[in-house]
Amino acid sequence: MKIIVAVKQVPERDAPVRIASSRQWIEESDLQFAMNESDAYALEEALQLKEKVGGEVVVISAGPERVATTIREALAKGADRAIHVECDDIGKRDALGVARLLAEAIRPENPDLVLTGLQSDDLGYGQTGVVMAELLSLPHASLILHVEKTDVGISVKRELEEGWFQKIELPTPAVLMIQSGGTRLRYATLMGIKRAKTKELRKVNAADLGIESAPVAVLENISLPHKQRSTQILQGTAKEAAATLVEKLKFEVRVI
Amino acid sequence: MRGNPNRVLWLGSVMSLISLTLAEPQHFSPWEKLLLVALLIASGSLFWRRFGAVLLKILHSKKDSDFHLAPLGRRTWNFFWEVLCQAKVIRERPLPGLAHAFVFWGFCAFALVTLNHIAAGFGVGFLDPHGQIGQFYFYLAAAFAVACAVGILGLFIRRFLVRPKWLGKRVSYESGFIAFLIFALMATYLASFFVSDAAPAARGLWWMHTLALLVFLPIIPHTKHLHLILSPATIFLSRGGFSRIPPLAGDEDFGLVTGKDLTQLVSLQAYSCVECGRCSEHCPATNTGKLLNPKEIILGVRGYLNEFGPASDAPTLGKYNSQEAVFQCTTCGSCEYQCPVGIEHLPILVGLRRGAVNTGTWEDDHGSKLFLALERGSNALGMSATERDKFIQKQQFPIFDGTQEYCLWLGCMGAYDPKGREIVADFARIMSWLGTSFGVLRKEKCTGDPARRLGNDLIFQQLAEANLETLAQNKVTKIVSICPHCVRTIQEDWKEFGQPPEVEHHSEFLARHAARLPRQDHAANHDRIVYHDPCYLGRYRNVYEEPRTVAALAGEVIEAPRSHQRSFCCGAGGGLVFLGEETGDRVSHTRAKELVATGASTIGTACPFCNSMFRDALATTGEATPQLMDIAQLTARALPQDGKSNGSANR
Repeated sequence: MKIIVAVKQVPERDAPVRIASSRQWIEESDLQFAMNESDAYALEEALQLKEKVGGEVVVISAGPERVATTIREALAKGADRAIHVECDDIGKRDALGVARLLAEAIRPENPDLVLTGLQSDDLGYGQTGVVMAELLSLPHASLILHVEKTDVGISVKRELEEGWFQKIELPTPAVLMIQSGGTRLRYATLMGIKRAKTKELRKVNAADLGIESAPVAVLENISLPHKQRSTQILQGTAKEAAATLVEKLKFEVRVI
Repeated sequence: MRGNPNRVLWLGSVMSLISLTLAEPQHFSPWEKLLLVALLIASGSLFWRRFGAVLLKILHSKKDSDFHLAPLGRRTWNFFWEVLCQAKVIRERPLPGLAHAFVFWGFCAFALVTLNHIAAGFGVGFLDPHGQIGQFYFYLAAAFAVACAVGILGLFIRRFLVRPKWLGKRVSYESGFIAFLIFALMATYLASFFVSDAAPAARGLWWMHTLALLVFLPIIPHTKHLHLILSPATIFLSRGGFSRIPPLAGDEDFGLVTGKDLTQLVSLQAYSCVECGRCSEHCPATNTGKLLNPKEIILGVRGYLNEFGPASDAPTLGKYNSQEAVFQCTTCGSCEYQCPVGIEHLPILVGLRRGAVNTGTWEDDHGSKLFLALERGSNALGMSATERDKFIQKQQFPIFDGTQEYCLWLGCMGAYDPKGREIVADFARIMSWLGTSFGVLRKEKCTGDPARRLGNDLIFQQLAEANLETLAQNKVTKIVSICPHCVRTIQEDWKEFGQPPEVEHHSEFLARHAARLPRQDHAANHDRIVYHDPCYLGRYRNVYEEPRTVAALAGEVIEAPRSHQRSFCCGAGGGLVFLGEETGDRVSHTRAKELVATGASTIGTACPFCNSMFRDALATTGEATPQLMDIAQLTARALPQDGKSNGSANR
């Protein structure tokens, strides 16, 4: 089974984000980057599937030079080879633009399965995978926790609201958007990192793929949310405070 | 003066004792000589067949890439002190240790006697029992022979009648036989003083002595008595330092994965084990019902070498050693500290872990979680780095900018753990009060201690390098930390990747300033403090008195039954604090109970991990428990609350 995993490199979870002077993106110079969390789960699912049924895992990532570290991490964890779609303005591209880049790079590979995370931890559009499926004319499913190969295709477990799950069957090839937390991630190992050095890393760019960059949605500017310190400490005895709380919840916040 | 017949008799017998000489048969027939040659060849070749195989296994093991014969001074001293003087053997188990020392010294004295004994069989004996030198030496050897016979008898009684449990459940009949042979060697030697050269008994004793010797020789290589030959070399050649983990060599070295990774030192040590069980006796895992027994780990490596050899691709963790046992080690180091034959358990245990983790064969939910937290974030607790920023802001810690004397290293516990934070805050308050300038780093990552001990070299290297870079950028020259794990890892383990700044533990800093710190009224506060030696401060760093000096400012310091070098682990080390539930009893509960039983009103700690373990342990035991305080907190409680500005005034 040939599985392609599309991963994104995003600022580290606790990175202190500052807005760049252009006001169109964040200041990247002093940021640390990491693999997008749900993409890490997509990679893990692909690796486990490969371990069970055999085949190949190809990791693909679009972004500037720095993305190489995330690609290497994926190779170290067990991906067989990688495609780096070079793109310096990844943050300014809309979901359609990124999906196009990825879809065109994936198309000639003729994979059996394309996995990617549910959404990115930075922009959080949650669309790239779905749009990519559409561009590749492949069936897709999202919020996937687990994938299993069947005789005719695949069977997937989807997460629904309130602890419900749904099991559905899909033909292959298909595109799946993986939800975080469905399995246990593996840690990167020294052996993996050393072996990764000899694995194939192919670079392509938008021009190679025949894509002209013309975003449909344009990012105008970004801003930090205003800090609102509206905490109130209710004074008085417990009884009085409770009474005040009920009053406020009823008439000010209007939730009860 | 009236003659006393009894005294005369007594004097007479002493005189006749002194006039005794060692009987040696004067003439051996050619048949006897032939028989002697045949026996010598049989015994020698059987010995060599067995010992040669062991020696080849050791020599064919991988070279230790970091081995240096220098410094010879230290090696010679260790050899003199631990081998010749038997100091470690005696110090840790005085009575059996002394018995062993007698046997050892007896053997040393006997080397010459034995050579002469065999030479005499061929008529070329070089020590003349009637000559002055010969007689003197034989008397000397006789004294040692008496000591040796008493010693071996004592050891026999201990092993077969007293039977301490650390010698194992299995009765070792071969040990009994060896003891018999040693006793026979001494007895036949001593008996030879009481017969004349010409008597047939002299010839009988000579042959009995020879036979005991020649039967003993081939038993040495395949039993634990191999330590007779190997352990002097093991002690002389040891890596040195404490728990020194060798750097990985080359791109294909991931730790002790297969036989090919076992180095000469590892193999030598594995074959040197004398199975005395001192390591097991002090091991926190073995003592709380876990699978791990350090002795069995070493014997496991030996078993592996015996079956597969040093060129094998078979995994080291499997038939002879289990992954489960290897990952139960708290790296407290009591095994390595105790071992009388120079085995360095920690490089082996951590080496086996490295093999499992660096190749990804170790799968553990908690372990993976820890590694992922360290991969993605900055700390072992998996907290957001902004939590550290908030804490620094709240405490108004100055940021290190190169003008301050000390960089106060917070560590994961100091920056994220509530109790650790209290300790750091109190220590910072003391530093300010003393007028010592310090600052904290804007960004600080875990030192990599848990990754290092669990065998994750990738993460450890990344963390060490990132931290070394930050420290260099900030031009830090002196670090002080409340965490012995941070101190050890910075000072020793980081060396593989660069030169770390000078670093010390807060107990050392506080002890140095003890004269200027407030002394609390012992009579008034009635505080009896039992101080718990953290493994990474005591055995790892040899710091025992400083924290006691500091604690003594706050109250009367009392000792737990196991303290100093014999302190019993809290259970947190070796990354185990992050690995969830233990099997068997909890190490922390065992130790906490022992500390509570001293009747102390306060448990004094000097490590935030110990503190955290005991906090949980005391909460579950639930009885009227003593209070639990770090030595920094014990000191700080006597400072005025607005102590910050008092620094200069205090000078």
